[in-house]
Amino acid sequence: MEKTIIINIGNTIIHIEESAYELLKAYLIEVKQHFANHADDLEIVTDIENRIAELLTEQLEEQKKQVVDSSNVNSVIGQMGRVQDFDSNEEQEEEPVIHTAYQHQYAEKKLYRDMDERVIAGVCAGIAHYVNTEAKWIRLAMLLIVFLGGAGVLVYAILWVIMPKAKSRIEKMEMKGEPANLQGFQKNLDEELQAVKERLSEVNKHAQPLFARFGIFIGEFFEWLGRFIGGTGKVIFKVIAGIIIVFGVLFLLSLIIGFAAFQGFWDESIYEYFPFSVINDSSRGVILLSAFVVCFIPILALVLFSIRVAFNKQAINKTLSFALLIIWLVGVAATGYHAAKISSEFKQHAELTQTADLKSYKTYVIDIDRSKYFSKEDSINYHIDANQRRQIVTEDFENGPFVSPNNIRINIEKSENGISRLTQKYESQGKTFPGALQNAQNIDYKYLLKDSAIIFSPRFTLRKGTIWRNQEVWLTLEVPVGTRLILKDDSYRYINNYGTWDCGEIENDGNNYSVWIMTEEGLKCVAQLKEEAIKNQKLKEELLNLEFLQKNKSTDSVYQDSVSNRIKEVRAELGINVE
Amino acid sequence: MIAENTQTQMRKGILEYCVLSIISRGEIYASDIIAELRSAKLLVVEGTLYPLLTRLKNNGLLSYNWVESTSGPPRKYYTLTEVGKGILSQLDQTWQELAYAVGVSQKGANS
Repeated sequence: MEKTIIINIGNTIIHIEESAYELLKAYLIEVKQHFANHADDLEIVTDIENRIAELLTEQLEEQKKQVVDSSNVNSVIGQMGRVQDFDSNEEQEEEPVIHTAYQHQYAEKKLYRDMDERVIAGVCAGIAHYVNTEAKWIRLAMLLIVFLGGAGVLVYAILWVIMPKAKSRIEKMEMKGEPANLQGFQKNLDEELQAVKERLSEVNKHAQPLFARFGIFIGEFFEWLGRFIGGTGKVIFKVIAGIIIVFGVLFLLSLIIGFAAFQGFWDESIYEYFPFSVINDSSRGVILLSAFVVCFIPILALVLFSIRVAFNKQAINKTLSFALLIIWLVGVAATGYHAAKISSEFKQHAELTQTADLKSYKTYVIDIDRSKYFSKEDSINYHIDANQRRQIVTEDFENGPFVSPNNIRINIEKSENGISRLTQKYESQGKTFPGALQNAQNIDYKYLLKDSAIIFSPRFTLRKGTIWRNQEVWLTLEVPVGTRLILKDDSYRYINNYGTWDCGEIENDGNNYSVWIMTEEGLKCVAQLKEEAIKNQKLKEELLNLEFLQKNKSTDSVYQDSVSNRIKEVRAELGINVE
Repeated sequence: MIAENTQTQMRKGILEYCVLSIISRGEIYASDIIAELRSAKLLVVEGTLYPLLTRLKNNGLLSYNWVESTSGPPRKYYTLTEVGKGILSQLDQTWQELAYAVGVSQKGANS
């Protein structure tokens, strides 16, 4: 059994076995190459092809066969002769007169679009062939026209429509002004057969109507657009992939370093800060590892995918990527489990209240002391000697991302029984109520009483071994009516139940304290009270004047109306009811 | 080697003349020309003939007609043009001269 191929040779359809086809093809290429330099190459080759077709058909008829095999081809080649035999018999002399005459017929250049050297549609390259320069000069000129007035685009489009593209080899040769012989026809038999056929139908092509060309133009335009987007898009994707690779690898490296740092330098102090302070001692290692896996593997996958996009290369085999997926899922499961476990530790809520009565003063000064509370041990550790060198460590005010949300909040309220009192309420979450209570008890908070001054520390700390479970400290200061409070510096920021930022602007330029007073309606800003009092005084005076006018000058009714209206307004502002 | 070369040259020299002579006898197809040449013991392969015919045709010595064939594509049947006939008669004369020259060379002028 053998595969057969249908060929068209010399306008005859012939079935031919594949091996025989290869043989014939090789022979024809040899023949064409032999005659490539000959002036009449096409005619000769066509004659030979026709004769081969005839011989093959004759043989098939004689042998009553359907398909040409190698023996048929060999006998045909034997009859036609090898190219070596041609040499010994027919001299390659070419009579110059005839040769030039023949060449002249085709040496005439024609204007075609050069699709092989095109940038957009080959217009510039085609013109360059026609005027016999390099394409870059034409392109430069075209660009200049585009930039000078934009007409270049139109010119280009028109030329695109008008100039036919050089499709066949013959057209390409005409474009370049080469004689149309078989010199360049040595690549592929099929292409060459195509070229010969196209030459026969060449005449039709030149008669192509303009509107058909316009259709070609539109088709080609979109084809070019697609090619442009495809090409440039690919480049953009590759650039993005490259960036992802660089940053992804950097990120992976920093993850590895970070992981090693957390594991290697097992520094306890880092777990006092927020995201880590949530984690139990016992499960730290597992959580760290699973979090690492959860972050690492997707980024690794992204980098590998980018490598594939950028270099068209599979960076990892399927088994390995499957294994990575499994590891990632395990990591996700472990993280999820621990997240659930930790969040369960926030289930119960407990409060702890501590009350202290304060000595009675007319005025209390409230201040925030941001110098960090140091135990004796700490002072020795940090070589701080508060007494001798007067060194103070102040904490940053801002809550950074790694700082526990452990600011205190102060409520100031009216005392019902005339006694000043400070209540500390410690709150915490926990898995069970006793656990939550234990967590609340582990809150360490200090404030200082110095005569009438109450100095709060802005933060509380947790005793060693206590984990962050949303512990909170609420301070409630109760003062009797008439007590003044001086809020120093930015202590007002910690006051929870009064908006205090607009107080004291009038009285103090330095604005480093504000004065408040407890009234029946709650805490009031003294400066604002004074302002209001002055305003009320003015209104009252105006009211007296108006009432005097109303009584004594009752001549003009229009005037009287305006006076009585104003009286109503003023009374409303003063809060006096109109009878 | 030298002999072979000379033989080739001689054959080449008369091939064109022979082809023209064959065609002069009437309209003829390329492969029939080959057959004639074979029977005349002027051994050539068909591939040689086509360039020659094309050249002669382009020189105006030959013309051809397409004739439909029962087996395969239409065939080119060659005939001699008037120019061809003129040249052939010149060649005939030249051949006479050559034959005389060879004869004289071989046997001497007197015989």
